[in-house]
Order: sequence, then structure tokens, then C-alpha cells
Amino acid sequence: MKAVGARLPRYDGVAHVTGRTQYVDDVRVHGTLWCKALRSPHHSALIRSIDTSKAEALPGVHAVVTAKDVPHNVYGHLEGLGVPADEPLLAEDDVRWKGQPIAAVAAESEEAAQAAVDAIEIVFEEREPILDIRSAADPGIDHFHQWGAVYPHFGPHNHRRVRKGDIDTAFEEADLIVEGVYRPQAIEHCPMETQVALAVPEPSGRLVIYSCTQAMYFSMGVVAAHLQWPLNKLKFIGGTVGGGFGGKVDTATETIVSLLALKARRPVKWRYTREEEMLTSSTRAPWHIEIQDAVTNDGWILGRRTLTLHDAGAYARFSPYGVTKHAFHHTGAYTIPHLRFDGFVVFTNRVPTTAMRGFGVTSVSLAVELHMSRVAEQLGLDPLELRLKNANRIGDTTGNRVVMHDPSTVPVVLAAADAAGLELGDEYRAMTPERRSGDLLPEHLVGQQAPDGEYLATYRGATNGGR
Amino acid sequence: MNITVNGVQHEVESSLLTPLLDVLREELGITGPKAGCHQGGCGACTVLVDGEPRRACLTPVAAVDGAEVTTVEGLGEPDALSPVQTAFHEHYAAQCGFCTSGFVMAAEALRTRSDGDLEREEIIEALSGHLCRCTGYVKIVDAVAAA
Amino acid sequence: MAVANVASNAATEVLRPESEEEAVEAFGDGTNVVVVGGGTIVVAEMTYRRLRPERALLLKDAGLAGVSRDGSRVTIGAMTSIEELAGLPAPLGPCAANIADIEIRGAATLGGNLCAGGGFEAPRGDLQGALIAVGATVRSAGEGGISEEALEDFLPKRDGRLVLDVSYEEPAAGAFACLDRPHTHDYTALAVSGAKLADGTIRLAVTGAGSHGQRLPSAEGGDADAAVQDVTPHDDALASAWYRAKVLPVLVRNVLADLEEGA
Repeated sequence: MKAVGARLPRYDGVAHVTGRTQYVDDVRVHGTLWCKALRSPHHSALIRSIDTSKAEALPGVHAVVTAKDVPHNVYGHLEGLGVPADEPLLAEDDVRWKGQPIAAVAAESEEAAQAAVDAIEIVFEEREPILDIRSAADPGIDHFHQWGAVYPHFGPHNHRRVRKGDIDTAFEEADLIVEGVYRPQAIEHCPMETQVALAVPEPSGRLVIYSCTQAMYFSMGVVAAHLQWPLNKLKFIGGTVGGGFGGKVDTATETIVSLLALKARRPVKWRYTREEEMLTSSTRAPWHIEIQDAVTNDGWILGRRTLTLHDAGAYARFSPYGVTKHAFHHTGAYTIPHLRFDGFVVFTNRVPTTAMRGFGVTSVSLAVELHMSRVAEQLGLDPLELRLKNANRIGDTTGNRVVMHDPSTVPVVLAAADAAGLELGDEYRAMTPERRSGDLLPEHLVGQQAPDGEYLATYRGATNGGR
Repeated sequence: MNITVNGVQHEVESSLLTPLLDVLREELGITGPKAGCHQGGCGACTVLVDGEPRRACLTPVAAVDGAEVTTVEGLGEPDALSPVQTAFHEHYAAQCGFCTSGFVMAAEALRTRSDGDLEREEIIEALSGHLCRCTGYVKIVDAVAAA
Repeated sequence: MAVANVASNAATEVLRPESEEEAVEAFGDGTNVVVVGGGTIVVAEMTYRRLRPERALLLKDAGLAGVSRDGSRVTIGAMTSIEELAGLPAPLGPCAANIADIEIRGAATLGGNLCAGGGFEAPRGDLQGALIAVGATVRSAGEGGISEEALEDFLPKRDGRLVLDVSYEEPAAGAFACLDRPHTHDYTALAVSGAKLADGTIRLAVTGAGSHGQRLPSAEGGDADAAVQDVTPHDDALASAWYRAKVLPVLVRNVLADLEEGA
């Protein structure tokens, strides 16, 4: 165990500081053609017709691909996890977000490729875009997504549910209901290296793909699925990522350059411009989170109702997974016995959203912490003391029945109070994460703790899937 | 025209308005300077022109006619790092590394034009055109201060 | 390896005058020619194919750079770098120092900054405000030959003119106040420059409250709040019109106070 606790040099440090680290755009292969994409100028529109013949005839153009060139166009990245496919690699009958790729060109220069893109004749019929998650599910709206306004495949439900205890009684017994609405907005990953891929066809029939993906095997699977190829015909070279942060898991470029490389029988590289990256690459999702807490005057949170709307943008991608994680963390660092959580993945005509550090959880953490402070403010209690009182303790369970064995809430809050020089009452200073007893085990928490050794609680009233 | 990069003269076929960054990367195969935005907003392309730090993506190649261009490749070798490069490596100032060559060039220029110790504010001011999405900048400033 | 894959503008005719006379002649009446000073604005426009010039005038070797003084009269050549101006007294010095970062300032030029268009809804001619405040005149070439006029008269017709130099009388006092930039790659959303001329006259100017820098005559008498009457602020990614209108009197007040102190 020499490495643990030791200060080791980065294995790539010398390469980084000498400019010798090889990123995908630094890879130069003779004969490379350049890719540019035709992207939707509209938030939402039908494609009435598309004609690439003029583009194909331009000098220097070697290949043009559209949906019909993709062996398996609609492939769900999370099909293996039960999320069905909804998103085409290249748009077929309609476009659902501004920037959605419709066609791609491989040409001798980026200039020639762009000229060819500009020469593609396409007729759109615009639709009224849906851009607000709060109104996206209005019954009067004719929604663009084949599944309707919200993702419908959370088991038998059209939302992720958490049900625990008896929420109605908790709300009746509360001294006060504290409400808040929290709307963290989209964030662009903005890696210093934009999306880029280079596909090189080999004489053997295999494709070598230089990729900036954060997830090589995952992206390999996606490309193989779209091409309907066995995995052993693909060789991915990568693992050197100029920043990803979750935004380089969407396999945005690899499949398209592969199709072009196969059609043109030449290496093809596609590198996003910064403007393309800013305008068309996936982002962290905007969220709308409404929390209502049933609280007692002395600072116990009896129950929480949460409604979350997650803006998936035009397609599902990883959003159901994000909302699921969000659901698991909606009580945060605190123990709340009665819960009703409903989280919806809502489709809008925005750029499809994706993972970004802390996917699904940062949004609910923000909401929960702001809400705890709001509760404290409305009850006239110290915000840290409120947190210490309701903190997770050994034997407590989360909303989805995971048992706490070593929760860090109490020591962290105490350390934060120290670091900030904040005063706490003596009883709060003395708190530990130990199993509840005495004053820290009020009536409403009796029977909620799991016995020693249990990892997933089963007790009266606790369910995961909801009833 | 001809340009001199890291002490070596090259004949350049690209047209006079081609950004220096593209001449370096696309024509000469010198890929240390990176294309982060191609519009001067990020600093990943910074090189030295007669010792002065400049955005290669905004410099038409004609502007370096007769000038000495230095890229990160010209600062040191893996077994003979410059003091700035050594400091960056020892202080973990690079994570993904994409912004690193630009920061190193800017730091190199700052070191050259300053005597003695640098205040953190001065370092931040000199590097303020450079973006890093990974490190949070603290270790980069530490490295420059230690260089 | 040839550079065929980038926006090389290979078709552009590039002119490289080596004197002011040659530059003026090459510029002609300004039609069909793009002037390249430091390139910090136009090169990016060409890269993104928003600018495809037929002819480009590279001024690097035309001898148009430098700051010279004749008594109290200061003359600054169009190709003087913004970094070279950063050490001058207020308002010009701090205004210049607040533009971009040292790397861009080292390449960017006075002429390029004065002639910056209003693209991307961002105010980009920061120096316009400082130079209007000190009562600068601009010597420019174009249709009708070389002319000299007050900067605020020049700005509305800056398209089609080639800036040669600006000059002004060193003021008795100067001041500059601006909204902080979130980052050096942003332009300042709003900036106010002020000067107290040798004869005691106060001149105020603003950038960021219109398509180019302009004077604030209504506030020059000392009533900072009246400044909003002189401008029609706009919404953009940096700030809303509402916010600009709120902050303008604050910046003006700061500048007026600094001018009082400085005199």
C-alpha cells in the first residue's frame, strides 16, 4: 500500500506540461476528410422533404449521410437499463430541438463540407415549440414526443415515485407547512476540448475510432448498435479527454463519422467549433422542484411532499436515471419518515440534457438545503441546529429504504459550524451520529429505525415503487 | 512566407490571413497550442511572439513575418523541463491538460518580464485571459508563484 | 501538409502598405476592403466565416503606431496597442487596462477599437468613451480624402473610414468608472469616462448604453441622474437596459467625485 497517502506525480503530468499529450484533434491521419453537419434551425418542425443531390455534386465532397444511411437509427443508450429508444441519430420525419443533426457531410476541407451543408435542400413545416416544463404537460397541447409530454416507463407509472409512511396524517399533524420552489437552471459543461472524433477505415473492414468519450466501452456499444456491427469490428482509441464532466458520454460524433468514413472509404474527422459546442451540445438539465414540509414548532420535519419536473429536452437520453437518483436523495442528509415524491421527466424542445457532475443529485441537494434554511427561518430556529436535529443517524433509513450505517451529517455540520465560527447550543455541540434515543427519538420516529445489520429496511409503511 | 517556430524556419503555404494557430497545427503539425474556441476567449492557443504572449487563433500568420514564435514544445523536453513546466508538474496544475500549454506560455512570459516574487493578484491578472474547466485555478496560481 | 481544411480566405487579396500614404491609397474610399489592425476582432470573424473579405489591408508595417506629445497635445497612432495605452492617466489608461487581457491588449489596436462595430450586441469600442471625454479629434482617410473631426462626430460614420490617429489636449483631471466584468473575455457592460479640461469644462461620456460611445451632456453640470436622458440603453447578454439605466447615474456620480478630487 505504498501509494495510499503518498504524493505521487501524475503519470500524464510531464506530457501535459510539454504539450505532448495527444488529444483526438492532435491525431493526424493522411487523407482525412472533414465533417460538418446540417443542424435544425428550428426548435420544432416537420421535415417535409430533403434533397442532398446538390451537396453531393459539389467539388471535394465525398459523402453525405442522412437517416436512411443509418442501419439502426433509433437506438436508446440506456436500453440495457430498461429505458426504451426514442432518439434518432439523424433526424427522420421531424426535428425537435434547435441544432438537432439532420445530415452530415465529409469533404476535403471544412470549408467545402460547410458549403455542401449549405447546399442541402430541406423544407420544414414549423411547429409551435414547447419550451416551458411547467406547461409542457398541459392537456390542450399537442405534444411532439411519441410518448407524450412525460417519460412513461417508470414501471407502471409516468413518474418516479417514492412513497413512505403516511403523508396525509403527517400533514394533518403538522404545526406548520413550509413551502418552497427551486429552479436550478441549465449548465453547459464547456470542456476546453470540444466534441471530436476521427474514424479511420482499415483494409480489413474494421473501423478505428479516435474518440474523446468519457466512456469508451459504452460508446463502442452505441456505435456497434447503430451500425449493427459486432464489437470486434471496432477499435476505439481514447481515454485522453480534454474535459468531459458528463458531457462526453452522449457519443455525439463517433457514429456519424463512422458512417461517413465507411461511405467515403476515407478517414473522417469531426470537431465541433466552440459555437457548435455552446449551442448544440447537451447540457445539465433545468429543474423545477416544489417542496412542502410538514413541520412541528420545535423543528421536527414530519413529512415531505416533493414534486420535481426535470427538463429532459427533446429526448430521454439519461434523464430517467437522473430523476431516479434525484428521488433517492430527496431527503438529503436528513431523516424524514413520511414521504411523497413524484418526479417527472418532461420533454421540451430544448437541447437534450445529459449527465453532469452529480447528475440528478446536485439539483435536489440545492433544493433541500435551501428548503431546510427556509424551514428554520419560518420556525425561528437556528438553521444549523435544525439540521442537526433532523440529521441522519445510525439505523435511520432513506426514502428508498437504504439503512444508514455511518451517516456524516452530524460531524460535517459541527465541523462547518466550527469553520464558520458559528455558535451552537451545548446539546447540539454534543450531538453524534449514534442511534436515536431519548429526545432524539420522538413519537413519529419510533419504529422507523432498522435493526443492526440490515442494509435495506423492511418495515411498516415503507415502499419503494409506490402504491 | 517563412516563419520561425522554436528556432526552426518553416516555409508556409497557407494564405497570409490564416490564423497562426491553424498554420502551426494544420500545416506544420505543431500541436502543442490547442484550439479551445478559435475566437480568443480561452487562451488555450497562446504562444509567444518575440517573447510576448499572444493568442495564436487571432494572429494572422502575416503578423509573425520576421518574428520568433515559441510554442510549448520550444520550452523544454520531458527530461529537461523549464522551471515553469517543472512547477506546473510538481504542483498538480494540470488535470485534463488541455489548457495547460496556453497557461504555461503565459506564465513563462510573466516570469520573464517580472523580477523576484510575484503576488497572487499579479499572477491572476496576467493569466486572466485563460480558462480552465478542471482545476479551479488555485494550483495553477500556486505553480506560477513557485516557478 | 497544406492548410486546405481551415477558413483560409485564400481568395482574399492582402495589401501590406509600408507607410501612411500607401495605407491611405490602398484603403481608397473603403469599399470592399477590411482593415486588419491587431486582428483581435476580424480574424475571429473570418474564422467563423462571418467575414469573407475581397481585400484585406494589413496595417502592421504602415508606421501608424506610437504615442507622441507636442507640449500638452497628445497624438496616438491608430496602430498603437491597447496595452501601450494602459499606463496613461485616466480616463484613457484605466479604460484601456480594463479591456480584455494582456495578451489581447498586446495585439489589439486603438484604431480597431474605435472602429469596432456593434456585433453580438456587445459594446466593443471601450476607448470611444474615454477619448470623447478628453475631447479627442480623429484624423481619418476615406472618401473625400483625409479629414479631422471630433470623435463623437466621427463615430456614426466610422464604417468607410480608416483611422490614422487621434489627438487631444491633456486634461487637468480624468476619471473612469465601470461595471466589473465577470471575466476578461467579456466587455464591460457599462463604463463612464470623465475629464476636466484645462479651462475647467467637465466632459462626460459613456460606452455600453448605445451602439457606440457618446457624450452625456445632461450630466456635465453635476446632475448625475440626468445622464439617463442622453442614452437609450439596450438589453444584451451582459446586462439589461433597466440595469444599465439604474447603474449609469452611480458611475457618473463616481466619476464626477473623482474629477472634483483630482482638480
